[in-house]
Amino acid sequence: MIRLALGLSLALCATGPATAQTLHLMKGIDAPHYDAQRTTWGPTSDIVNMFQDTLVALDWDGRTPVPYLAKSWTISEDGRTYTFKLRDDVSFCSGKKFTADDVIYSFKRLKDPAIKAPYAWRAGDIKELRAPDPYTVEYELKEPYSELLLQLTMFTNVIHNKESVEALGKDYGIKGADGTGPWCFESWHPRTEIVLKRHDAYRWGPSLYKNKGPVKFEKLSVKIMPEESSRVAAMMAGQFDITHQFPQQFIAQARAAPMLNVTPAKPNFQLLYFGFKTTRPMVEDRRVREAMSIAINRAEIAKGVLLGNADPAFTIVDSDALDFDPGTKGVVKEDVERAKALLDEAGWKMGSDGVREKDGIKLQPKVYYTQAGNTPRVAEAIQGYLRRIGVQWQLQPWDSTIASAKMAEQDYEIWSVTVPYLSAGDLMNIYFDSKNIPTPNRMNWKDAETDEWLKQGRSALTDTERAKYYALVQQKVMREHLWIPVLNINMDQVANKKITDARPHMIYQNTFYKGLDVSRQK
Amino acid sequence: MSTEALDTGFAPERESGVFARAGVLRRLARDRVAALAGLVLAAIVLAALFAPWVAPYDPYFTDLTKVMQPPDAKHWFGTDNTGRDIFSRVLYGSRNTLMLGLIGVVVGGFLGGVLGILAAYYRRLDGWIMRLVDIMLAFPAILIGLAVAAIFGAGLTAVVIALVVATVPDVARVARGAAIGVMGQEFMEAGRAVGVSDTELIWRYLTLNCISTIFVFLTLRFGQIILIGAALGFLGMGAQPPIAELGMMAAQGRDFLFMAPHIATIPSCVIFVIVLAANLLGDALRDVLDPRLQT
Repeated sequence: MIRLALGLSLALCATGPATAQTLHLMKGIDAPHYDAQRTTWGPTSDIVNMFQDTLVALDWDGRTPVPYLAKSWTISEDGRTYTFKLRDDVSFCSGKKFTADDVIYSFKRLKDPAIKAPYAWRAGDIKELRAPDPYTVEYELKEPYSELLLQLTMFTNVIHNKESVEALGKDYGIKGADGTGPWCFESWHPRTEIVLKRHDAYRWGPSLYKNKGPVKFEKLSVKIMPEESSRVAAMMAGQFDITHQFPQQFIAQARAAPMLNVTPAKPNFQLLYFGFKTTRPMVEDRRVREAMSIAINRAEIAKGVLLGNADPAFTIVDSDALDFDPGTKGVVKEDVERAKALLDEAGWKMGSDGVREKDGIKLQPKVYYTQAGNTPRVAEAIQGYLRRIGVQWQLQPWDSTIASAKMAEQDYEIWSVTVPYLSAGDLMNIYFDSKNIPTPNRMNWKDAETDEWLKQGRSALTDTERAKYYALVQQKVMREHLWIPVLNINMDQVANKKITDARPHMIYQNTFYKGLDVSRQK
Repeated sequence: MSTEALDTGFAPERESGVFARAGVLRRLARDRVAALAGLVLAAIVLAALFAPWVAPYDPYFTDLTKVMQPPDAKHWFGTDNTGRDIFSRVLYGSRNTLMLGLIGVVVGGFLGGVLGILAAYYRRLDGWIMRLVDIMLAFPAILIGLAVAAIFGAGLTAVVIALVVATVPDVARVARGAAIGVMGQEFMEAGRAVGVSDTELIWRYLTLNCISTIFVFLTLRFGQIILIGAALGFLGMGAQPPIAELGMMAAQGRDFLFMAPHIATIPSCVIFVIVLAANLLGDALRDVLDPRLQT
C-alpha cells in the first residue's frame, strides 16, 4: 500500500511541472482571424506579436525603434532608402531559415491589392524592395517617410513565411500561421481559446528584454472571457496568470487584492472616441457633429463610468504624444445650450416626443460598437446626455468577431472604437487619409488639403517640418468635429503575484508584447 | 332541423363561459396562495400599466454623479451604473417584460390553437401540421431568438418572434388533443349530419369546447414565456438601451455584482416574483377550471 501511495505521489509530481509550464493569459475579446495584414483589430495584434516578429521592435518608451530581426540599418541622405542588415540566426517555427526573401515577400503581400490591407500605408509608399544578399534588404520608398521605423514596429509589418501562407490559403491566420516569434501558433478555438507553444530555437529577443529566448513556459494559453465579472472572479481565484483586460471599474479591488499586482502601461496613448460617417445625411452637417460633441460631460463619464480609470479627452491626440498640436485645445468646449442652438441653426427642430426632426426625419443616428469593454457603458452614458438636446442615439452593439466587418459597411451614422496609437502622425494617417476609406477612414473623409498635409508630414525630413504638417491636420479634423474624443483610457496589466517580470508594454493595446522575461515563482 | 335547434337540442353546455362560470372567482379567492399571487400580479400589472404616472423619475434620465447608489429613501431601489433610478426602470421594465409575455402567449396561443384545431378537424392535414409542430419543438426558443436577432438585429421584435415560435408548438399539441376529444362527441357528428358548415362547426362547437383547456395551458405557460423573454433580454437579444426590460437590466448589473449587487438582483427578483405569481395563479386556475381535479 505504501509503495502504491508513493508511486501515485511520484506520478502526480511528474505531471505537475507540465501544468506549471503553461502560462495562462485571459482577455475579454477575440479576433476574427490572426492574419495581421488583413485587419486593424487590436485583438489580432496582441496574439500576432507573440508568434511573429517585426524588423524593429518598440522600446519601453513607446517611441524608440530598436533592432530586432534587422540587427542594424542605414538611411540614405534623401530619406528614401533604408538598408536593413538582417540577423542570420533566425528561423521560423516550422524550422525554415529566415532570410531577406521573407521580408520582401511579406511587404509585397502587404501591398498586394488582393489582400486589401487596411494598414498597408504603415509600410510607406514602397518603390522597390531588393535583396543584394540573403541577409540584406534595401527598402526603397517613392518618397521619404519620417515615421517608417516607428511604423515597422507595428503588428501589420510582421514577417510571414510564404510557404505557410500558401499552404493554408484562406485558412491562414485561422488554422495556423508560421512565424519567427518566441511563441508558435498551435490551435485556435474562436471565442474560446488560442494556444501557443514555446519556440525552442528562439534566441533573438530584442534589447528591451533581459531574456533573449526561449520563453520560460512550454505553452501559452489565452482564454477568452467576455463576461467582466467572470474575468474579475477568475483572476481573484488564481485561475489565470495575466490579463490586460481587467474591467476598469474593478481595478481598485484588484489593487487591494493580496494575490494580484496591478501595473499601468506607461506611456499609453489609447483614445475612446465616437466617429461620424460624414457621408450620411444625418451627420453631414458639421454643426450637428459639434452639438453632439459638446453636449456631453467627459469628466463625469471618466469618473462615473470608468470610475476614474480614464482621463477626459478634449483633443483627438493626447497632449503627451509626439507631434501633439496645442492649438487644438479649446476646440471642444462642452456647452449644452450652445449644442441646442447649433441643432436649431442646422434646422433640426424639437419634436413633440423630445426627439428633433428635420424634413420628417428624426435625429436618431445609428451607433455601432463592439459589445465588450467600456464602450457599451460609455455609449449609454452619452445616449443619456444627448436625449437632453433632442438626439436619440440608436445603439447597436455587435459581437467582437463581426464588429469590424459591420463597421466596414455604410449603413450607420456613428461608430466607436478605442484606438491605441504611437504619435499624432500615426493616428492622423490611420484615420484621416482618404486612401483609407472605407476603413479605417470610416468617416469617408475625403479632403485634398488633409491628404496633402498628411503626405507632407510623412515625407518631412525634419521633426519641426513633420510636426507642422501634422498640426495642420489635427486642427482641421478637430474643427470639422469628425470625431467625439471622449476618454484617454488607462491600460493596466493585472497579474498574479507569483508572476514576475511581466512589465506591461503600451504597444497597440498589448501589454504582453513578447513576454520573454515573464516567469513564475516556484 | 335547423342549426338553431341543434344549439339547444344537442350541444352540451358551452364551456365558453370560462370567466362566467359560477364560482370560479369565489373558488380562486378561497385559495389563499392563489389569491396572494393574484394580488401581487395585479399590483405589478397595474404599476407597470400606470408606470408613466407612478414612476418617481424619468427612467431614461442619466446622472453620472449618482451612479450605483444603494437603495435609500430617495431612490427606493437605488441607481444603476449610469445613475438612472432603478425603481422607475423596474416599472417600465415590467411593462415591457409583461407585454412580451402577453404577446407571446396571445399570438402564440392563437396560432397554436388554430393549428391544433385544424389538425384535429381535417385529418388529412394532421400529419403535415404535427410534423411542422415537431420541427418547431426541436428548436429551443433561445436559439430561435439568437437566429432572429442575427438576421434582423437585436430588439424586441426578435424576442416576440422567438416567444411566439416557442409557444405555438406546445399549444398546438394541447389544442389538438382537446379537439380530438371533442370531435368524438355525438353533437359534432350530428352537426355534420344536418349540414352545419365546417367553419361553424370548428368555431361554435369545436373551438369553444376546447378553449378552456387552451386557456388553462396558456396561464401555466405565461410564466415560462416571461422567463424566456427575460433570458433573451439578458443575452442582449431583446430591448436595446435605453429601453428598460427586466432581463436586460439584470444583464447590465452583472458587471457590477461585486460593487453594486442591487443593480442585477432587484430586476432579477422582480422577474422571479412575476414568474412565481403567474405560475401559482396558473396552477390555481387549472385546479378551478379542470373538472377532473375538482372533488
